[in-house]
Amino acid sequence: MPPDPSTAAPPRPPPSAALPAGISVDELRASLLLRARARLSALPDADVADLLSEAVFLERRRFADARGGLSPEDEDERRAVERASRAVHLSRREQEAALLALVDDYVGQIHNRFSPRTYRFATTVLPGGLSRLLQAGELRGLVGGAHDPLQRIRIEGDLPRLQRLVRSHTLMLTPTHLSNLDSPLIGYALYAAGLPPFIYGAGLNLFSNPLMAFFMSRLGAYTVDRRKRHQLYKDTLKDYSTESVLRGRHSLFFPGGTRARSGEVEQGVKKGLLGTGLIAWQEALRIERAGGPKARDVLVVPCTLTYAMVLEAETLIEDALKESGQRRYIISDDAFSEPRTIATFAQQILALDASVIVRFGDPVDLFGNPVDEAGRSLGHAGEPIDPRAYVCDAEGVVQEDPQRDRVYTAALSRALVQAWSRDNTAMETHLAAFAAYRLLCLRTPRRSTWERMFLSEEERTLPRSALLAAIGALRDRLDALVSAGQLRAALPEGPKRDAETLSLALDRFGRFHREACLSAVGADGVRVAPKLALYYSNRLAHYGLQDVALDVPAAPRPLVESP
Amino acid sequence: MNVAILGSGQWGRSLAMLTAEAGHQPMMGYRGDPPRGFQGSPNLAALCREVELVIVAVPAHEVRGLLDVARPGPQNRVVLATRGLEPETGRWLSQVVLDETSCLRVGALAGPAIASEISARRPSAMVAASAFDEVAALTQKALHSPICRIYTSNDLVGVEMAGALVRVLAVAVGVADALQLGVGVQAVVVTRGLAEGRRLGKALGAAEGTFSGLSGVGELVAAGKHPEHPGTSVGKRLAVQGGADEGIAREAAALLTLAKRYKVNLPLTEAVGAIAAGKIKPRLAIDMLMRREATSE
Repeated sequence: MPPDPSTAAPPRPPPSAALPAGISVDELRASLLLRARARLSALPDADVADLLSEAVFLERRRFADARGGLSPEDEDERRAVERASRAVHLSRREQEAALLALVDDYVGQIHNRFSPRTYRFATTVLPGGLSRLLQAGELRGLVGGAHDPLQRIRIEGDLPRLQRLVRSHTLMLTPTHLSNLDSPLIGYALYAAGLPPFIYGAGLNLFSNPLMAFFMSRLGAYTVDRRKRHQLYKDTLKDYSTESVLRGRHSLFFPGGTRARSGEVEQGVKKGLLGTGLIAWQEALRIERAGGPKARDVLVVPCTLTYAMVLEAETLIEDALKESGQRRYIISDDAFSEPRTIATFAQQILALDASVIVRFGDPVDLFGNPVDEAGRSLGHAGEPIDPRAYVCDAEGVVQEDPQRDRVYTAALSRALVQAWSRDNTAMETHLAAFAAYRLLCLRTPRRSTWERMFLSEEERTLPRSALLAAIGALRDRLDALVSAGQLRAALPEGPKRDAETLSLALDRFGRFHREACLSAVGADGVRVAPKLALYYSNRLAHYGLQDVALDVPAAPRPLVESP
Repeated sequence: MNVAILGSGQWGRSLAMLTAEAGHQPMMGYRGDPPRGFQGSPNLAALCREVELVIVAVPAHEVRGLLDVARPGPQNRVVLATRGLEPETGRWLSQVVLDETSCLRVGALAGPAIASEISARRPSAMVAASAFDEVAALTQKALHSPICRIYTSNDLVGVEMAGALVRVLAVAVGVADALQLGVGVQAVVVTRGLAEGRRLGKALGAAEGTFSGLSGVGELVAAGKHPEHPGTSVGKRLAVQGGADEGIAREAAALLTLAKRYKVNLPLTEAVGAIAAGKIKPRLAIDMLMRREATSE
């Protein structure tokens, strides 16, 4: 595989002048309460009452539905909700006070008291600790002795530019989300790329795993409790993000929301947190106009994470197939419940070359425009443009228009989706799974996706030669996509590239999952696990590869179609 | 409010007249001779720097070239008063604005307003659509007057789609008229055209009622009634003289590509596309449409 010119050996982090100052929880609490108070005062009486009723109702339901009883923290929260509930039928003033008391609690729960001192400690100790962890135990041999397994994580992108921009701009890093490993991976990638820590909202469930909690609490994470569904909590989270960006803190969040259940590169984003950059920037412009410090421009950095294998693939695709991703928002009992499983998986995947790629994409401004080396917005012909004109009038006064801002954020989200798609890297596991699943579809054209998950062993065993031919045909189209800059690839080259692709995929798939996605059957057959094949093939969905003509492999015996 | 109108043809001048009627100062961007009776400039880029609202009133195939010269920027709102898709690429004209400029606030103006009738100060109505409320509202403010009602909509996709589809369906109206097939057939074209518009609109995520509004049915009815409507004129010419019309053929092909992608059936559009491409005689196309398998409404 040719080296990426932009991928030098990961630089060590410089003594960063861009370390964000810690924010005291009291200072933050005061700012967020001020925002909440302003928002409440703009609402009519009925909406204030609704906001409180919704919070009480949804929280009570959460406590009632809690399996295995309430934790001490949940008990505290339940008491706070009951206190707030007393105001539901009282005056507006008392309702507002109850809502603000809840916000006050939420600020404490969300904030992590990040401090540069903690960060310096973490960046000194953590990489070594992580390496030792990955090299520990009976699987030490797999990681190749003297090699630092973390060196196997490929970190790509224009890192020198990001190292410069991080000093002059506030960056919002927006990665794709496939696995719970993403959080520590990004934390490590930021460190290895020579970038300062970014704050980010990590799901509460990640903190329940001691191993993950260790990394989370040291990588600038604040806590997001996704069990809290009411608007008041969501608004507090958005205010937290807005306040952080306004104070120049670099932040990271997964715009897709949760892990992509289907394995696809996200095709849409949740715009709540993404929109806070624009809100914060406009506030900074107002402060500047009122004689305050010059507004620091905000840039959004798309980031694409690619794994040859995903630890939670089986649970995630099950969930996608059930089409209940919204309801089962948090999967609490997947492969991530076991610290040992994570360590084993991390050891396995880092034993392989180029099996984990973190690609920092080209930064864009808050409207999705590209920026130059200095972070200045560029028009379509490469001419410099003034992004302030999108939100200010001719006199330079910011015009408040939340509806306009939502449309701008939608434009930004489209730019992100395009960047993720461009920066996605096709690996041998994805290509082989795509070829195999496509052949299964062609072989069983009348079956639904769901029926296809239950094919007999004979039906899901493909001739090796047909699979190799399909890989070859797809590879040609894939190479054209790579040449056109629509996709990246980390695939074998040379005259035996297709056989090597299949052989590598079989090897990798054989390492971890309970049932391998693809496994060799004798010398001439390959058995396909349809769910996993669907999951891994989805990484190459949306590139038009399904239009590539493939030869349909003969069925091993006459198929009995379902009625 | 200063409003720039790029394009000084009959349609551009009609829009300038509406702007003045609404109490604003139209500034016309022109190439060649300056239009009489209006202020303007041949320096389109300078004009765009001076105004908030830029209305584009040139034929669809000229839009990209015009934007390349005018270069509207982040401060502008660009409203396309041109119907149809870009013939060469099949792209929505709003997409062409996003392709070519750093302007994000884009809208479209459509409806049964006909230049000659506006010039005669006859009452008319149009819809201004944009995902940005402020763009639709600004366009309404710029053009709304006692002689022209401007309605707002945030369904840009629906209004652009209606504008493009009506241009093609109007050809079918013209064909039916020239072949003297009767009022019934014209009504069938309008109602079944409405069904095609609804199907395609739904697939594209447009609002359900948009095609039933001014930009869809409104303009289609006007096409049937107005002897000089561009689409109807093309239909009449093809029915009487035969031949082909490359522009309509390309637009129909672009719509059909879109329909294929979203698995939507557009038989009338398909027939017009074949007629405009010179692949089939108009009378035979009507016959084939009538012989399609019986179905429910």
